[in-house]
Amino acid sequence: MLSRIAESLYWMARHLERADNTARALDINVVHMLESDEGLTEDAQWRPLLTIFGADAGFEARYPDRRATVQRVIHFLTQDPANPGCIHNSLRLARENARAARDRISTAMWESLNGFWLAADDHLQAKLPPWRAAELYSFIHREVATFLGLTQTTMMRGEAHSFVRLGSLQERADMTARILDVRYHLLLPDLSLVGSPLDYYQWGALLKSLSGFESYRRCHQNGIRPIDVVEFVILNPDFPRSITYCVNALEHALTRIGYSPDGVAAAAIAALRDQILEMEPGRIIESGLHQYLEGLLMCLAGLGDALSTDYFEAYPGDAS
Amino acid sequence: MFRQFQANGGGQLLDHSEGPAMAFHEFYRDDFRPRDHYLAMWEHIQGIGQQGLARKARDAQLALHNEGVTFTLYSGKDKGIERVWPLDILPRIIPAREWQPIEAGLKQRVCALNLFLKDLYHGQQILKDGVVPPELIYRGKDLCREIMDVDPPGDIYLHISGVDLIRDEDGRYLVLEDNLRTPSGVSYMIENRVIQRRLLPELFSNYRVRRVEHYPEHLLQALRYLSPRGPDAAVVVVLTPGLFNAAYFEHSFLAREMGVELAEGRDLVCKNDKVYLKTTLGLRQVDVIYRRIDDEYLDPLVFRADSVLGAAGLINAWRAGNVALVNAPGTGIADDKAVYAYVPDIIRYYLGETPILPSVPTYQMTDHQDRTYVLDNMEKMVIKAVAESGGYGMLMGPDSTAAQRDQFAKKIVAAPRHYIAQPVVQISRHLCYLDAELESRHLDLRPFCIYGRDIEVVPGGLTRVAMRRGSLVVNSSQGGGSKDTWVLAD
Repeated sequence: MLSRIAESLYWMARHLERADNTARALDINVVHMLESDEGLTEDAQWRPLLTIFGADAGFEARYPDRRATVQRVIHFLTQDPANPGCIHNSLRLARENARAARDRISTAMWESLNGFWLAADDHLQAKLPPWRAAELYSFIHREVATFLGLTQTTMMRGEAHSFVRLGSLQERADMTARILDVRYHLLLPDLSLVGSPLDYYQWGALLKSLSGFESYRRCHQNGIRPIDVVEFVILNPDFPRSITYCVNALEHALTRIGYSPDGVAAAAIAALRDQILEMEPGRIIESGLHQYLEGLLMCLAGLGDALSTDYFEAYPGDAS
Repeated sequence: MFRQFQANGGGQLLDHSEGPAMAFHEFYRDDFRPRDHYLAMWEHIQGIGQQGLARKARDAQLALHNEGVTFTLYSGKDKGIERVWPLDILPRIIPAREWQPIEAGLKQRVCALNLFLKDLYHGQQILKDGVVPPELIYRGKDLCREIMDVDPPGDIYLHISGVDLIRDEDGRYLVLEDNLRTPSGVSYMIENRVIQRRLLPELFSNYRVRRVEHYPEHLLQALRYLSPRGPDAAVVVVLTPGLFNAAYFEHSFLAREMGVELAEGRDLVCKNDKVYLKTTLGLRQVDVIYRRIDDEYLDPLVFRADSVLGAAGLINAWRAGNVALVNAPGTGIADDKAVYAYVPDIIRYYLGETPILPSVPTYQMTDHQDRTYVLDNMEKMVIKAVAESGGYGMLMGPDSTAAQRDQFAKKIVAAPRHYIAQPVVQISRHLCYLDAELESRHLDLRPFCIYGRDIEVVPGGLTRVAMRRGSLVVNSSQGGGSKDTWVLAD
C-alpha cells in the first residue's frame, strides 16, 4: 500500500489512543483529588499529569507563574490550543488522518469517527468547566471504544489493519510506561505502608487509569502491592494494556505487514523484546524502575523511528 | 403540619414534613439556619439553583440506571420487579466528632455480640449466670443447635454486620437493630459515593470526606485471613442465591471488586468434608465462602431438606474445619429483636464496659406487665416480629388501622415470644430534593463492620430515607430512598 496511507492509518490510531488515555488519566485524577486524604497540594496532585503527557515545558510557557491548578491542567490537556497534544487537537488529527485514508477504512469506522469529532469539536468550542469534564471524558471513552469495536468487526485484516494496530499499540505501550514511571516516582513505595488504605487508593488509581483495576483483582488477591502492580502492568501477557501484551501484538502486526529485508524494524522489535525479557520485578525496583522505564521508552521511540524509516520515509512530515 | 420559612440567603423553601416538629432535624438548627457543617453545602445548592438541581437529579437517575444499580422487590403488587436504586442528590454529612463515638460504639457492640455467640454455642455461661433468661434463647427459633461446640476459625461468628442507627429527638445516635445474618447495602453505599462525586464534584472538594471504597479490600483480607489453607492459598467465593435475589446486584458487585468467583449452590460440590467449585479445569477446593444465603437454605442435609440454594455437606465441611463460612451459621439468635433488649447487659457482662451506643426501650411480650401496657397503647408503638427484617412483619402504631391493630394483638397473644414492641421514636429528618422541591424526610444510618484480624468500621454507611412524607419506614423494600453519607476527616 502507499506509504502515505500507511502513515495516516498509523497516526489516526495513535492520536485516538492518546486522546483516550489523556481523558482517562484526567478523569481518574479528578476523582482521586476529591477524596484525597494525603494532604497533597493542588500542584502536587496535578503536575504529574503534565509530566506524563510531556507537557511541562508547554505549560510553563503558557503560565509563567508555573502553578498547576485543576482548572489550568484540565484546560491545558483537554482543549488549550497552545498545547498541540491536547485532547481536542489529538481528535482533530485523528480525524484528518482518517480522512486521508478514507478509502482504506470502512464506512462504519469513518462515520463513527467523523460524528465523534463533530460532537467533540462542538463541545470544546467553549471552555469546559472542570465539573463538566467527567461527562466529556466518558463520552470520549465510549466513542473511542465504538471506533475500535468497528475496526475489529468491519475492517479487513491485512496491511491497512496492521498499521492501525501498530499505531494503537505503540501509543498504548508508551502511555503505560509513562503513567507507571511518573506515578511510581511520586508514590515512592514504602514497604511499611503496603496494605494500607492509602496504598489501595493510590495504586488503585494507577490501575484504574490503565483500565486494569478489576483485571488486577482477579489475578492478585493479596491487597494491592506495588511490586505486583509493576509486574502486572509490564509483564502480564493477557492484560491488554501491559507492555508485554503490546509488544507481542506489535510483533504480530509487523509480521503480518512483512519486515522489509534490509529494514530496521526487526531490530527495534528485538530490542523491545530484550527489555522485557530482562525484566525481573524485584531487581528492577531495587536498581531503579525509572531507569528501566526510560530504557523501555527509548526502545519504543526507536520502534517509531524504525517504522518511519522502513515504511513511511518517502513521505515525511505532514501527516503527523 | 406545614411550615414555611425564609431560608438563610434568600431562597424560599418549604418544609412539608408532617411528622411532629419534635423530630431532630439534621440539616437545620432550631432557628432554621443550616447547621455549621451544612453551610457550605447550602450555599452551593443555592448557587446551582432549581434547574441545576433538577438536572443533577435526572443525571443521577440515569447513571444508576445505566450502571444497572438495582434491587428487586419481594412482595406486594410489584413483586419481582427490578427497581433502580433511588439516590437523593443531597448528601448527609457527619462531622468527625459525631463519628468517633459511633465507631467506638459499634466495635464494642460487635465484639460483645461475638463473644455472646461463642458462649451460646459452647458453655452458655451467660444463661447460667442469669444475665439473659434461658427461655428467651430456647423459645426463639434462631438458636442453631446443629452448630453447638464447633470452633469456627479465629472464634469469629460475626464477620460482617450492619447495625442500624437512628437519631432520637435530641439528636443522639441509638441502635435500632443489629443485622448480623447477611446484611446488605454496602454496594449501594459505594455506588452512592461514586455517583455523588460525579454529580457535585465542587461541593465534594469543599469538604474533607473520608473514603469508603476500600470496603471490598478489607472484606477480602478478612475472608482470606480465615482460610484453613492459609491466606496465600485461599480460594474465596461469594455464594449467591442467584439472579432473582433482591441483593443480586450487591453479590456480583462484591465478587467483581474482590476479584473472586460468584458461585451459586449448583456450582459447589462437597466430598470428604471438603467443598469444591466445579470449573472447566475440574474441581477446585474452596477455603472461604462469603455466603449471602440464609442459614436454613445452606445445607439440605442439616437444615431445610428442600433447599437447592446451598450445597449438601457444607455444614460438615465447616465443622471439620475445611472451609470457613461467613457469617458463621447461627448468628441470627444475636440479632433476634427480643435479645436486642439485653445487648447493653451483654456488653457489660463480657467486656465490663459501659455501652457507648444506647438502645431503644423495648417491651417484651412474654412479660405480662409489658404486654398489657403495649396492648393498651398499640397506636403509640412499633410492633416487630422478632425474626423478620427488611420492614416485613411490622406494625407502625400511629399509621395503623383498628383492624390491623386487632390482628396484631391476636398474633401477640398467640405467640408472645415472636413479638416485641418499642415506643415510636421520632427519628431524625433531613433535607431531600424530591419532585423538584426541597422537603424533609426521616432517615436512618447503617454503617458496616468487618471482623477479621481486628474489627473495622468503614467511615460512612448507607443512609436510608423514608421517601413518603411523614413516613418513618426507610427500608428499600418499602419504598425507601438513600443518601450518600459523608464522614468528615476533621
